[in-house]
Amino acid sequence: MATFLFGERWPCFSRLRDVTVLPDLGYGSMVRYIAVRLLSLIPSLFGLILLTFIMLHAVPADPVTSLAGENASPEQVAELRARFGLDKPLVEQFGIYVWQILQGDLGNSIFSNRPVLEEILARLPATLELITFALVLAAFVGITLGTIAAVRHNGPIDNIVRAVTISGLAIATFWVAIILQMVFSMELNWLPLRGRFDVAYPAPPLITGFLLIDSLLALDLTAFGIAAQHLAMPMITLAIPAIATIARFTRSGVLETMQKEFVDYASAVGYRRNRLIWIYVLKNSLSVVIMQLGLLFGALIGGAVAIEAIFDWPGIGSYAVNAILNFDYKAVLGVTIIIGIIYGIVNIIVDIIHAFVDPRLREGI
Amino acid sequence: MRRIMQIISTLAIVCYIGLAGSLTATHAAERPLVWAESLPPTLDPHARFDVPIQTIMVNVYDALYRYTGNPPKLVPWLAESHTTSDDGLTWEFRIKPGLKFHDGSDMTAADVVYSFQRLLKMGKGPSSVFRGVLLPENVKAVDDRTVRFKLEAPYAPFLSTMPLVSIVNPRQIEKHVKDGDFGEAWLSANDAGSGPYKVNPETYQQRVRLDLVRFKDHFMGWDHNSKPMENVSLRPVQDPSTRVLALLRGEIDATGAYLPTDQVERIDKSKNANVSRDETMRIFLFRMNNKKPPFDNVHVRRCLSHAFDYDGFNKIVLKGFVERNPGPIPNGLWGIPEDIKGYTYDLEKAKAECDKARAQGADLDREFEIHTLAELEQTVQAAQLFQSALTKLGLKVRIVPGTWPVLSAAAAKPDTAPELWVFWISTYFVDPENWIGQMYDTSFHGTWKASAFYDNPEVDKLLRAARRETDQSKRAELYKQAYRIIYKDAADIWIYNTIQLRGLSNRVKGYQFTPVGSGSDFRSISLKD
Repeated sequence: MATFLFGERWPCFSRLRDVTVLPDLGYGSMVRYIAVRLLSLIPSLFGLILLTFIMLHAVPADPVTSLAGENASPEQVAELRARFGLDKPLVEQFGIYVWQILQGDLGNSIFSNRPVLEEILARLPATLELITFALVLAAFVGITLGTIAAVRHNGPIDNIVRAVTISGLAIATFWVAIILQMVFSMELNWLPLRGRFDVAYPAPPLITGFLLIDSLLALDLTAFGIAAQHLAMPMITLAIPAIATIARFTRSGVLETMQKEFVDYASAVGYRRNRLIWIYVLKNSLSVVIMQLGLLFGALIGGAVAIEAIFDWPGIGSYAVNAILNFDYKAVLGVTIIIGIIYGIVNIIVDIIHAFVDPRLREGI
Repeated sequence: MRRIMQIISTLAIVCYIGLAGSLTATHAAERPLVWAESLPPTLDPHARFDVPIQTIMVNVYDALYRYTGNPPKLVPWLAESHTTSDDGLTWEFRIKPGLKFHDGSDMTAADVVYSFQRLLKMGKGPSSVFRGVLLPENVKAVDDRTVRFKLEAPYAPFLSTMPLVSIVNPRQIEKHVKDGDFGEAWLSANDAGSGPYKVNPETYQQRVRLDLVRFKDHFMGWDHNSKPMENVSLRPVQDPSTRVLALLRGEIDATGAYLPTDQVERIDKSKNANVSRDETMRIFLFRMNNKKPPFDNVHVRRCLSHAFDYDGFNKIVLKGFVERNPGPIPNGLWGIPEDIKGYTYDLEKAKAECDKARAQGADLDREFEIHTLAELEQTVQAAQLFQSALTKLGLKVRIVPGTWPVLSAAAAKPDTAPELWVFWISTYFVDPENWIGQMYDTSFHGTWKASAFYDNPEVDKLLRAARRETDQSKRAELYKQAYRIIYKDAADIWIYNTIQLRGLSNRVKGYQFTPVGSGSDFRSISLKD
């Protein structure tokens, strides 16, 4: 651990190394670890599909009725239902659906008749861009606030940070969104109220689907500015509760690490306080925060549903809401599966980063 | 650490330059017309039958006939004339010469036949209107410009349903048919029309973004509009409060057609926007399941009809932006008996009716359920007002939030249909058949529109006769008779006819409202300088 954190540049810490460093298990074990985690996703996803499928069919709704029109006869409705395979026994429908998924097909939307996967993939980058930048902002601000609060614990700054973080968790997201809109769009006229890009300016060519990155790749700073302006308010709204969570976990982590002997030792040998806290103490405290980032990613996908509706952010959140309201069940299942996969993968990445930061975790592999 | 700070400051500078640059760009660029109307999930005009698809039908496609103005007038559009046989079974339409589709190809009678057959064979959306009336094989091209329809039974509203069928271009669709899907997957994101605007498929995003480009060769020409919009951007705004703010800020030029009444004053007060108020044909009602006890008792239904505070709801809750509609045909249409003013809010009368029902053995002690459409706040407000009045009568009522797919599916059978629920019936074609005809004829049982399961052989006879009769004055008499009976039987609780409210930017010129299409007709619109 000490080697990992301090490297060989600070021989004064070399003694710690004997106590904390575990045998390095190497590249092969990491690959095996990732493979095991990926395989473990399969039963979770299967469970998720089964559960969503059962829940959707437990609701006595029928998308076909609205599809068939105002005064379709029961026979016309039945005919359409047969065309979509909705008249088959539930077990058979489930079997067909799982078989489709195994072939990489999430079925067609009952309303547009287009592949659900295509529709979701068209919207996914918008949501991922929003969540990723919100999470980066939350991590940056949250870790900074949490560390300052810990260093000055029980002082006035700590109290202010505590008040801010509790409010961040307690305030309703839609309220924050409306206040931001009123202040920054309506009063100050700094930021656009809604949407992802300006209606009168050509969007950058689609490369990654992240408008900020695509506009930079196209060397179009105006497009970058427009995208950044549109992203600002939804990103901040989404980040606020996450900032609060991260700040609280960072604070307790840093406080705990500061009790460790190596901090006293480093201070005693005259290590610069800022460097000690912001690099070594922080690195040792981030383990829990990194785990939180994975969980927060999931929470942010949920939070994005409301934010996307308020700011007209064209992501999968608003797609999911429309799918649920219209009971487009293949679309609902598709969104659930895609979110499940993303959530699973993000958590694997988080675990890997965690294992990377804290080699003790690799011991059990 | 220093290096990180350097990277951060460089990024901040880049952002700043970008933001500054974009501010200038946004102000310099000419903004097209931005219309915040809801978009349908598919652009295929034969696959949907709801209010949002009408925007596509009116702007991207043409039909043989079309509604214009308010009250709506049916005018020949692609057709120049039509004839009907004496028995009302054979209809011939002659289309105008020189009609062109967006791809430049000529429109002929064969394309009209293809369009009707495609609609009927797909069996979705507006096809249900022609149930039992028209079979695909009975639509034929007589020559290049004449189409003949042979109906199964005389159907007086046939002409008024013509605007429901968009004429599509088979040469574009047939290339994209996959697994017998009638080209539906392709047409859901493309256009094969002849209307005044073309879809830009490159930028289309389902339910998020639709850009329309003017079709200069539209058969009606553009002489009526000296500065037509070259581009129209449809950008639905989901949240009602964001929608109003976006209008006030000038980000959009029009809200959707369901502006909440509490926002009207706010927009009217602003310097850059106004509210267009247009009487439409969309009636709001509480539906009662006439087959489910105690609603099978006429006195219970009358009791409830006297227990809704019509004025309180229409004038106070909705601030007078609606008008009382006493029965099952929207005000302004024909076929309404002039003397019927509607049930009044009178708890004494209500109590007397409920007492009569109790005396006849109706069980009014159990708890009733009023089902609302949770995402439409007005249905919840109406249910709450109703609940408070019914509580005064000693009735127990529970409000159950629901969604349209769930409730409309349940409404297919009398034993699963909600006993009491609340919704609107909009204009799809302008004929009493769209309302009273399809709401109370037993042959429509199984459809949500007829989910009152009202069953009266005399009314059936009158409505069917009205459907067959081709003389409008005779039809009006038949509808009036049916109206009186249904009203007396208190089959439903009819509340108001909508005044459509749409927030419009002051720079919009030439907005023309018609109930079918809700005023989203871009042909006539231009922007002030």
